[in-house]
Amino acid sequence: MPDTTSSATTAATTTTGRLSLRKRLRRLPITLYVGGTLVSLFVLVALVSFLWTPYPPNTLNLFNRLAPPGTPGFIFGTDRAGRDVVTELMLGARNSLYVSVVSTIVAMFLGSLIGLSIAGSKSVLRGSLTRFVDVGIALPGILTALVLASKLGPGNTTATLAIITWQVPVAARVTIGPARQILALDYVEAAYGYGRSKAYVLRRHVLPNISPLLIVLGSVMFAAAILIEAALAFLGVGVQPPTSSWGRFLNETQSLLEAAPYLMFFPGVAIVLTALGFNLLGDGLRTVLDPQQARSGLA
Amino acid sequence: MLKYILRSFATLAFSALVGSIAVFVLLRQLGGDIVTVLLGRMAAPIDVSYMRERIGLDKPLVVQYLNWLKGVVTGDLGESYGMGYDIFDEIRRRLGPTLLLTVGGLIVSVPLSLVIGTYSAINAKKVRSGILDVFTQVGMAVPAFWAGLMFVLVFAVRLGWLPTGGYVPFSEDPVQALKSAILPICALSLGVTSVFTRYVRTAMIDVMNEDFMRSAMARGRTRRSAALVHGVRNASIPLVTVAALQFGQLIAGAVVVENVFVLPGIGRLMVTATLGREVIVVQSLALVIMMIILILNFIVDIAYGFLDPRIRDKESANA
Repeated sequence: MPDTTSSATTAATTTTGRLSLRKRLRRLPITLYVGGTLVSLFVLVALVSFLWTPYPPNTLNLFNRLAPPGTPGFIFGTDRAGRDVVTELMLGARNSLYVSVVSTIVAMFLGSLIGLSIAGSKSVLRGSLTRFVDVGIALPGILTALVLASKLGPGNTTATLAIITWQVPVAARVTIGPARQILALDYVEAAYGYGRSKAYVLRRHVLPNISPLLIVLGSVMFAAAILIEAALAFLGVGVQPPTSSWGRFLNETQSLLEAAPYLMFFPGVAIVLTALGFNLLGDGLRTVLDPQQARSGLA
Repeated sequence: MLKYILRSFATLAFSALVGSIAVFVLLRQLGGDIVTVLLGRMAAPIDVSYMRERIGLDKPLVVQYLNWLKGVVTGDLGESYGMGYDIFDEIRRRLGPTLLLTVGGLIVSVPLSLVIGTYSAINAKKVRSGILDVFTQVGMAVPAFWAGLMFVLVFAVRLGWLPTGGYVPFSEDPVQALKSAILPICALSLGVTSVFTRYVRTAMIDVMNEDFMRSAMARGRTRRSAALVHGVRNASIPLVTVAALQFGQLIAGAVVVENVFVLPGIGRLMVTATLGREVIVVQSLALVIMMIILILNFIVDIAYGFLDPRIRDKESANA
């Protein structure tokens, strides 16, 4: 199957090679643009927060407590302690970015490594290992986080570890199938004939061929990581004060649902837009990088 | 078939064994001593040694593990250190609200996603389908707890139609019980329904391209009736697996939603126990939740084998 993919892509590049840049850009799916914009905005906000926030972190504007949105100097208002909501959201983006980057990178690396080893192992072993990975996927990340937190105590590290333990089997599972397809191809057989080792084949032939898939997966896993981080922080199991997080901000302002609903609104919208951005980006990337998978592929 | 059932059961037993050992070892070995976590660093040595004996920490690790397993089977898991409740009874009592939430979530989301997904697949190339696609994308991005908070804000605080939270057993007041269950179930179902809808849509579009669909249309069925009569049944097979896989996510969602709506379920117990650092309670709860998920997956495996002989054959062909 990847044979046809590669010939299809070469055909596509020769035809698109004659098109102008603008036409080529217009051919890209809209999800890629929307997702890319949302994700860039998120990353930008998180990075800018290191250099500048409207108020220094943890500034308490005691004269402006619970200021409604639109108050001069506080576009999104302030919370019960008089902290500026915009500042808190920017710092929250920073924490989300940190947790999701660390967990996704580690999980992708470990997961694809495990997936490749399982795909390359003997068939008896492979069957049971695959089953085992399936079981790992079935266990929710929040459960792992709670188990870890009961012993390690709540915190960012606990949340990150929990997200990783949930994501590793997911990454492994997604790797196994396509890797096996490629291992069954003729040129892999030829490489063995050259006297290449299995590890070499996996690294030089299988990994580059499944990397588009891994990039797409990474984007979707970012979204999942952000949602889990928010949920954990909301439960009080994630990041602890004084570090800001969207989930923790929602937890702290939950009791003000009647008095100041805007406090709940903005962080939630931030979470939704960021997760949506990564999901859309993943969708768009899938269409571009892996057209066959995109037609039959599932979220 | 028997071979297939045995194989699935072996997977179940093996996963349960490995899972329980993992939970046990993780909680015993990670981040210091349980008693120190419970009593604090400043505890008197005599209290510590008394506590060790009471929880059974003075015995070898293997004996501790077997005792715990025995406790799970016989219903004797000891008492919560901080709150004094009997752990087994408490878990049993709290299963009700959690099952109501998760099963309620499935009952809402599965039919709903079948309808929306099929509709979207039939109209695949039209704007309608695109709009539904946007909705499901957003639905997947909304965290269950935030959906819950927003529902409370609109339907409970502003409109006053439904209660803001709390749990009423069906035996006490069926109407009130139903009313208090609506918002939590909706909050929980939002994300899951979106995921299911996308699966149904993709599966349905695949089925629409099958030869038997063309034959059905050649025999005089319209595209729509062919989709409804032949398509839905075929497209719902993958939905069964996805639903089973997502059940874990549903329980995870229930943990969060229970905390928003103050429902006395397993999830809330788990969070309170975690924040109170009650390792023994968390360990048993984790096992119970894990077993629910594993047994469900086992049942689905078997059901799947019955429904779709191709899977059985493939499994045995691979062996």
